[in-house]
Amino acid sequence: MWSGNLKTAIASLRSAKWRSLLTMLGIIIGVSSVVTVVSLGEGLKQQVVGQIHTLGSDVLTVRPGKLVSDGSARQSLNLLAFLSTSTLSEQDVSTIAKLPQVSTTVPVNFVTNSAAAGGLQLDNVSVLGTDAQLNDLLRPKMDSGAFFTKENANDNVAVIGSTIAAQLYSGSNPLGHPISVLGRDFIIRGVFAPSAGGLVTIQQSDLNSTVFLPFGPAKSLVDNRTNISQILIKVKPGVNPDTAVAEIRKVLLQNRGGSEDFSVLKQQQLLELTGKVVNKATGFVTGLAAVALLVGGIGVMDIMLVSVSERTREIGIRKAIGATNRQILGQFLTEGLVLTIGGGFIGILVSLMIFGFLRLYTGLEPVINVSVMLLAVSVSIAVGIIFSVVPALKAARKHPIDALRG
Amino acid sequence: MALIELREVSKLFGFGEATTLALDEVDLTVEKGEFLAIMGPSGCGKTTLMNIIGLLDRPTHGTFLIDAKDASRLRPNRQAKLRRDRIGFVFQFYNLLPRLNVLNNVALPLAYRGMTPVRRLKRASDMLELVGLRDREYFYPKHLSGGQIQRAAIARALINNPSIIIADEPTGNLDSHDSKVLMELLADIHRQGNTILMVTHNPELTRYASRVIYMRDGTIVEDESTSIGAVAKGALRTYLRKRKTTEEDTLAGVSALLKDVPGKAMAKGPKRRLPKKVFKKRSRRRARRKVKH
Repeated sequence: MWSGNLKTAIASLRSAKWRSLLTMLGIIIGVSSVVTVVSLGEGLKQQVVGQIHTLGSDVLTVRPGKLVSDGSARQSLNLLAFLSTSTLSEQDVSTIAKLPQVSTTVPVNFVTNSAAAGGLQLDNVSVLGTDAQLNDLLRPKMDSGAFFTKENANDNVAVIGSTIAAQLYSGSNPLGHPISVLGRDFIIRGVFAPSAGGLVTIQQSDLNSTVFLPFGPAKSLVDNRTNISQILIKVKPGVNPDTAVAEIRKVLLQNRGGSEDFSVLKQQQLLELTGKVVNKATGFVTGLAAVALLVGGIGVMDIMLVSVSERTREIGIRKAIGATNRQILGQFLTEGLVLTIGGGFIGILVSLMIFGFLRLYTGLEPVINVSVMLLAVSVSIAVGIIFSVVPALKAARKHPIDALRG
Repeated sequence: MALIELREVSKLFGFGEATTLALDEVDLTVEKGEFLAIMGPSGCGKTTLMNIIGLLDRPTHGTFLIDAKDASRLRPNRQAKLRRDRIGFVFQFYNLLPRLNVLNNVALPLAYRGMTPVRRLKRASDMLELVGLRDREYFYPKHLSGGQIQRAAIARALINNPSIIIADEPTGNLDSHDSKVLMELLADIHRQGNTILMVTHNPELTRYASRVIYMRDGTIVEDESTSIGAVAKGALRTYLRKRKTTEEDTLAGVSALLKDVPGKAMAKGPKRRLPKKVFKKRSRRRARRKVKH
């Protein structure tokens, strides 16, 4: 009976090809946008997580802006704090460095976002002033040269990312060449190896498009003002990170007379936070995509209702030769399901094609997630059932006599 | 035991002022193996009666028994199963589903019974052989003539070995040759011991029937057993009544055919010959109701 229903459904959908296709289109758009958005979010999260993991679990981060706690275990960061001027100062850095639990303290000072060389200027880079010890924390892979050392603390030297090297020096090795930041030339000491994209952690930027300068010279570029976007802290071996967090929080509170405008984060928290930010964004867009799916479902219901009233006589004949209400219901439900499940599968194919284009032409790396696809298919099945039930019930409940006359 | 028994079955349509009485306390018993022809003017309740016997409709009052079991008050699902297993339908129009080929159309009742595709298609094929359509199995209804469609419909009606075959004007749409082929087929089926109920307007077709009932205004006015091969006496009268177009009619631009519109023609003719009792009863009722047509 089931296979019979399927055959009948496919036959009747094929008899109205264009109509079926247009009806499916709603479901296709809905499913493909949900799958694409969720997979993009997943990809973004994995990139971030990958970078955070390279830092290791004994690294703490101090960021400007207060972590908002709403009483429960859930925490979220005030996003606006990231955008405003930093509340962290050099004094904070030196106070933390004096703590017995801390082995390394590295400030990251945002200077500007443009750099130039040989008449070319890039405006989408991050120029950051930092300490030579960052090398110990990040352990970045170098393409050529090396990170600057303590001895370079007052020299005008720079370490640049691979994207910048490729764009400003087009193929030739930039080692020893100058790079100009805010009118001053810095000699390039090292070039990072291309990293697997990604963002955040170091001032929301990718290592590939970052210029690192020694802290002192970087500060002197902007009239000795600082804009410390984060302080990276390595805890001494054997010290519980939680006690270190408590200590750092205490001394920072002392520094500013009790007002808490900063947050001390463990790697785990940082992971959760970035995950939360990405989740919020994807959640919002997924919501929009779900509306598309809903509209598609309503389209299916619409067409099914038309189909039922068009085929009144067929329903009458089927009932006359002994179809029960349930069998008629099954027939029309199957038809709706074929529409929506078909749409679901085509939607997934479309989203796979979109992934291909995204990987080819943008830096985004959507993660093909089987569970997301299963979800999309089951959602389209649910849409099929929900929006076919009304038309199918209408068909099943038709009185045989009225249906035959219809 | 009677195969079909109707006891004081009435059917009302509509509400309030617009209520019409389609069947008026009809009593009818049909034995197994009968070929019953039902005649009467349009709107006399023939089709309503067929629909009630075919379990497509429920009587408003009265009981309807199949094999001495009340079938009129069953739940829709039980009725559907009874239709599937005991009753075969042949309608005047649109018998087959246009999207299925002939073979699948004929096999459809078996599908609703849950039979496997191979078995049901084989059986449908055998049934098509019986009606002489073996070579048209994979044709779609739109590629068949009216007569072939009706023969396929008979194959479908027979496929479940029903105890009752209901044919509502099966030849209404066919030319005389196709009609003859179809009626011979029905006669064959009747000879094999099947019970057939057929609605018809054509007196010629009563030749095939073993019993003819005449209906008017929702009641059975005459019930006649006939010998197969002869036109029923009651039906014969419809021939006798047939007028010729007179000179006055031609002048007035009215054709005799128009005057012979069933209901009106019947109003003269056999009325006087009705048993007195029935006539009185009916006219009394007529006074307090609105007749459907």
